[in-house]
Amino acid sequence: MSDIYVDTVARLSRVSGVRGAIIVEPETGVPVMAEVEVGVSPQALAALAAALFRRTANASAAAGFGPLRRFHLEAAGGHVLMAGAGDLVLVVLVDDERQLGMVRLEAQRAVESLQ
Amino acid sequence: MRQSELPDLMQALRAPVNAFIHDSRARIALIVNRSGQVLAQHGFTSSYETMNVASLAAAAHASSQALAELLNTRRWKHLYHAGVKRNMFLALLDTPLEPLILVVIFDDQSSLGLVELFFDRLSASVAALPQLREVRRSADAVSFERDLEAGLDRVFKSDAEPS
Repeated sequence: MSDIYVDTVARLSRVSGVRGAIIVEPETGVPVMAEVEVGVSPQALAALAAALFRRTANASAAAGFGPLRRFHLEAAGGHVLMAGAGDLVLVVLVDDERQLGMVRLEAQRAVESLQ
Repeated sequence: MRQSELPDLMQALRAPVNAFIHDSRARIALIVNRSGQVLAQHGFTSSYETMNVASLAAAAHASSQALAELLNTRRWKHLYHAGVKRNMFLALLDTPLEPLILVVIFDDQSSLGLVELFFDRLSASVAALPQLREVRRSADAVSFERDLEAGLDRVFKSDAEPS
């Protein structure tokens, strides 16, 4: 079973423009599997991303939109994509916006494999 | 730790503990030394409750430390107890004087990851406090109960004062 997590983050991390991928347990904010560039703390990123995802999911539910599927954060230096994958959340860091389409596609495949 | 040194130390610990509570969204935080002397607290409403948790936390730390040694591990990074509504995180804050025990109670407004993340920052802030380089260890075991009571009195007295 854990091979799925290893394969998922490895496959995503190989996509051009991706700086890292993490699978997070959203209730605890603890990373299940992570592959990120040196200098990125997977623990910190997982904790903060999980908190953000949970709160945004609450907002989505409060608005009557149902479960949150994907969440895209755009910053000056890159993008953070988050997607719900069953009981887990997939977090992908992207620093090349030209690759966003490809990353979204790979992230969707990853979500499907995790569910 | 002597009674005369407590007020300065407790005053110094308030800011980092409050920042930790704010950032981590935890409900309760308590810092005690290994003998259960309360040095800082946020979130408790009664000294009775605080004293019980402080004593049990010190005991939990002592027993987990014994378990770590039995398993040839120097010490645990932290202990985490997951509850239905509330969770408990217990970890050591390293200081130049002595390790202090941090007890954190949090609910679904926070998470283990967030508590761990901001624990690291709290740990660095506490270790850098000059008050923890200057205070001296308790001279004898006789002073333990007196210091414990004094710590609780001061914690709740200072919380009751307007800021």
